[in-house]
Amino acid sequence: MSALPKRIIKETERLMAEPVPGISAVPHEDNLRYFDVTIHGPTQSPYEGGVFKLELFLPDDYPMTPPKIRFLTKIYHPNIDKLGRNWSPALQIRTILLSIQALLGAPNPDDPLAPEVAKRWKDDEQAAIATAKEWTRLHAMT
Amino acid sequence: MSFAEPEGRPAKKRRFFEEKSNLLDASLTSSASLPDEIDAFPGTSSTDAYDGNQYSIKKEDPESLDSFQDDFTRDIKPLSGFDKQTFESFIGDKVSSDILGRLREACGSDIERAVNMYFDGSWRNFKKEKIGNSSSTGVMSVNAFTKSLPIVEKNNTATKRSETEVFADITPALRDSMPEHRYIGAFGVGGWATTSGTNLIKHGEVVRIDRQKIQPMRTPISKGRGRTAVNQPPPKANTAAGKRVDVIVRFTNSKGSEIGRLPRETANWVSTLMDQKVCRFEGTCVYAPERIRTNDTIFLQLRCSLLRTAFDNAGFSMPDNRATGMFEEKETSEEKELRLRQVALVKLFDEVNLLPSKTSATTAKHKREGLLQAAEVAEQYERSKAKDVKVESKEVVSLSPPSEEAEDGKELEQDQLDALYKKAQSFDFNAPAAEPAATFAMDLRQYQKQALHWMMSKEKDEKNSDREVSMHPLWEEYAWPIRDMDDKDLPGVRGQDSLYVNPYSGELSLRFPVQEQNCLGGILADEMGLGKTIEMMSLIHSHKSDVWQNMVNPTAVTASVNNLPRLPVNSGNVESAPCTTLVVAPMSLLAQWQSEAENASKDGTLKSMVYYGNEKNADLQALCCEKNAASAPNVIITSYGVILSEFNKVAANGGNRAAHGGLFSLKYFRVILDEAHHIKNRQSKTARACYEIDAEHRWVLTGTPIVNRLEDLFSLVRFLRVEPWSNFSFWKTFITVPFESKDFMRALDVVQTVLEPLVLRRTKDMKTPAGEALVPLPLKTINIVDIELSQPEREVYDHIFTRAKRNLAANMEAGTVMKAYTSIFAQILRLRQSCCHPILTRNQNLVADEEDAAVVADAASGMADDMDLQSLIERFTAETDDSADANAFGAHVLEQIRDEAENECPICAEEPMIEQTVTGCWHSACKKCLLDYINHQTDKNEIPRCFSCCEVLNTRDIFEVVRDDGHPDSKITLQRLGSNSSAKVGALLTSLKTLRNEKPRTKTVVFSQFTSFLSLIEPALTRAAIPFLRLDGTMAQKARTAVLKDFSASKKGVVLLLSLRAGGVGLNLTMAKRVYMMDPWWSFAVEAQAIDRVHRMGQTDEVLVSRFIVKDSIEEKMLKIQDRKKFIASSLGMMSDEEKKLQRIEDIKELLS
Repeated sequence: MSALPKRIIKETERLMAEPVPGISAVPHEDNLRYFDVTIHGPTQSPYEGGVFKLELFLPDDYPMTPPKIRFLTKIYHPNIDKLGRNWSPALQIRTILLSIQALLGAPNPDDPLAPEVAKRWKDDEQAAIATAKEWTRLHAMT
Repeated sequence: MSFAEPEGRPAKKRRFFEEKSNLLDASLTSSASLPDEIDAFPGTSSTDAYDGNQYSIKKEDPESLDSFQDDFTRDIKPLSGFDKQTFESFIGDKVSSDILGRLREACGSDIERAVNMYFDGSWRNFKKEKIGNSSSTGVMSVNAFTKSLPIVEKNNTATKRSETEVFADITPALRDSMPEHRYIGAFGVGGWATTSGTNLIKHGEVVRIDRQKIQPMRTPISKGRGRTAVNQPPPKANTAAGKRVDVIVRFTNSKGSEIGRLPRETANWVSTLMDQKVCRFEGTCVYAPERIRTNDTIFLQLRCSLLRTAFDNAGFSMPDNRATGMFEEKETSEEKELRLRQVALVKLFDEVNLLPSKTSATTAKHKREGLLQAAEVAEQYERSKAKDVKVESKEVVSLSPPSEEAEDGKELEQDQLDALYKKAQSFDFNAPAAEPAATFAMDLRQYQKQALHWMMSKEKDEKNSDREVSMHPLWEEYAWPIRDMDDKDLPGVRGQDSLYVNPYSGELSLRFPVQEQNCLGGILADEMGLGKTIEMMSLIHSHKSDVWQNMVNPTAVTASVNNLPRLPVNSGNVESAPCTTLVVAPMSLLAQWQSEAENASKDGTLKSMVYYGNEKNADLQALCCEKNAASAPNVIITSYGVILSEFNKVAANGGNRAAHGGLFSLKYFRVILDEAHHIKNRQSKTARACYEIDAEHRWVLTGTPIVNRLEDLFSLVRFLRVEPWSNFSFWKTFITVPFESKDFMRALDVVQTVLEPLVLRRTKDMKTPAGEALVPLPLKTINIVDIELSQPEREVYDHIFTRAKRNLAANMEAGTVMKAYTSIFAQILRLRQSCCHPILTRNQNLVADEEDAAVVADAASGMADDMDLQSLIERFTAETDDSADANAFGAHVLEQIRDEAENECPICAEEPMIEQTVTGCWHSACKKCLLDYINHQTDKNEIPRCFSCCEVLNTRDIFEVVRDDGHPDSKITLQRLGSNSSAKVGALLTSLKTLRNEKPRTKTVVFSQFTSFLSLIEPALTRAAIPFLRLDGTMAQKARTAVLKDFSASKKGVVLLLSLRAGGVGLNLTMAKRVYMMDPWWSFAVEAQAIDRVHRMGQTDEVLVSRFIVKDSIEEKMLKIQDRKKFIASSLGMMSDEEKKLQRIEDIKELLS
């Protein structure tokens, strides 16, 4: 593997030095492009109390291409399936994790990534929120 | 005009002078021995003028002749002692009675002594008697001239004074065993008749060769110009006449009547040899017409024998200290005689075709013709100086047409100096090395050990007596002929198989001239920085005098009383200082020498002392004398100023060296002059003071043994006391005069002969045979930077490439490759240019190296009016043209952009940004990041958007931020990206800007073989506010020097644009740390040489070299060819032109594959 670009080093250092409240991102020792991420569910959201595990991988042409992020913890959310749209190289790991956290607090069914979840959210928001809470309790609380 | 006529042979066409000639002949016949020189007899009363031609023959005044004219008819009064017959049979010659008389007076009855005196000329010292009248009616004998030659006497005195063994006189035994004359060879000559008649001379008849000298004028009668007054007798009584040289050599038949004369070119030197008692000539008529008319040619064979007397005056040894005369310009009569003799001898050996059996290797280069030239030049030199006085100087003997007159330009041109140094510094890397003594505290590099070995061997040379005795380099050995011209055996002389000739001085010797090594030191001329001081310190430690050595290792424990330090009893003398080396250095270096002396020595092994200022109170003699050896300082360091002031004191004290107790009161074991060019002016007081320093071993250290005159070297040689060169006359004759008369090569050759054994010089540039530098250089890294052509560039390239390929294919099919060679090659050139910059291919205003030929070839191949290419280039130009005024943006925007610049790049996080570039929406990023991102998007067929705001980008509206660092308020301008710039220029700028950020003030050299490309790089550098200088072949030397000076002096990170050809050789650019090779050359050696301008001795930092090579282009293929090194072979001249072409065609095929 080629040497780690300055940008990744700097981002990692900053994530360690000034962590974002409710978010942690720790690179793997054997692969510094691979991060274990945890996001705490925002308060007053269906995900409150849940700790969601994600994996984040920086591809070789990062930041030209966005990082690859996947939820390891099952989550019921209209916008979360995969990320990657509207990426620009000016974004960073920190910013993308913050936007995920923000999405948890404000699901946006109008810009769905998981169409079925989004449909349910639109049709019966209460039921959807209940399912989300249930999933959070089942999967995101140990 | 008329004066010359009797000397030279009249031209054949002048037959109408026959009457007159007959008249002349008649008079000559009637008194055959009359001198026909007419101008040297002032006061003669009987002068016959011939036909108003100012030619006159005089009956000589007996009074005026008595000292030089032989007289054979005079009766000899029987005196006591030996008789005339016996004496004459001894000397094989006739002797005038007055000489005989004087000999008798001097020697009594001792005939042997008389013979010796006769031959060595010392009988003249006994001249007392006023010699009586003599009438000249007898037949002149060949060697019967007795004119008192100043040279003979002078040389005899010189011999007595001679200190040099080589020039010492022949041992009597050797000389006595030599016959009075000995055959050396024969040659043919066509004489011309001065008489007419029938049966005057026949084939096989023996002819006498006569010589009659005019008498030097003693009392000029008339100071006026006798010439102008036609009727005024004697006509030649002006001062010029006295300078005339009589060289007439006539030959007479057996009856004693003059038949004719030798041609002038022969007579010139034959006369000298006869006059100077070097040679005798016996003639035989080979052919003469039955009826001889005046001016007919008579062929003679001359048999030459060297006279024993020739070996007598073996003394070319000038007094060692010609205190006042040393610098005089004029050639003395003594020197002139010597020169004539030298020329004559060389001519003789040339004519008789006798080649040396042994010459010194060092002087083998000095061809005899060259020697003659040197001597002639000396003459012309003298003449041109005296020209205004000597109206008739044209008549002075000259063996060749006069060459250019000497000019005053004494200074050496740089290239001459280079040539000289190049010769002087041929250093043998396999030279033996010596390990320094254990007391020496430092480590030596290999070449320094070699220097130590060389210096030790120079110092110990004297003791090394078993070394083969070698011949003095200025001498040549000749074998005596064993058969004469008729192939008859000649009698040999036991123990005398050879004779020795010094063709430089005209000396002859029977004894082997031993080369005497009398200089136990030399010139250490290593270039600055190679460690001369350390080398010298190692010598001080490693070669000690016996006294010092014994003191350190007291093997013999003798009675201590004798070793007790005692003050010198006799303080009136110069005392030996066997343990002391005197170092003379410029004042500023005294401290450095002292610290070097300490650092180089293990504790307590060496005592050093600076003799300057207060220290001068010490009584050096008491301190350093042998008795005080144990506590004497081993190194005394002093300045040139101190030397001079002490020299003045000693001089004021009447030359009493000891009284002062100072520097001059000692004879040192060794003296070292540091920065010895301080004494380059031999007339300066400092130089003279240094000459007087007494020491066993003498060394000079200097990086520039010759600053700008050959005389600079003389002063060093004089200090070193290298015989015979330390004699200024000798130096002048063989070096200064030839040099000043434009015979540079000769002079430089001789200088090399002088230098070779004396000088050790290494330069920083020298490489060992293994290619390693003497002093290891810092690292050099060469990177090949791949360049990707932009789309429009690629289109231009492809267009030319296709065309060239088609052209080649067509020619190959038609078998006309060789014919179309030039045009194909021109197309290759176009391809290479288009890799650099598409505009280059059409830029005819700016002449590149191969451009002219290419333009012609373009016309032939149709590229000149290639519309497609034209449009492609136009497109390139349009896309890169910076028509918009990028700086018409609001000050606010610019300010913001400027402030932003210190931030990190949003893409790569570099801080500050590398080549900050802004989008049309004013978002900044590194240029590379932005361009990469744009490419990333276009590759995915997406519309490029801003990395930050995702606005759609207009790729034309991307600007590079240019900061002018020189500007106080760091003003910025915006530069539209890619303006008139090619991929290579872009890459160069990127690299330069990165360098400016990372290592500001790093100097850079940019090489291109296309000067027109350099011209395109210039505006790009200007726009980027990168300071630059330019040096190419079109610039005058002065301008180049100025550029290099600026480059060296600049405190900024200047870029030097250098054409490969102009900058490939010689330049020292070690102030630069980066090199960019903009385009490859056929042979990497050429590029490597250019790189070595920066990566050479003196470079202190790592050197990074970037070679820009366009990917997938002819340049990549050129690299492959470079690897095969075929072009190296062709460029080394190992192939014929045709072979080269064939080879190149092969390469071209590969290039266009």
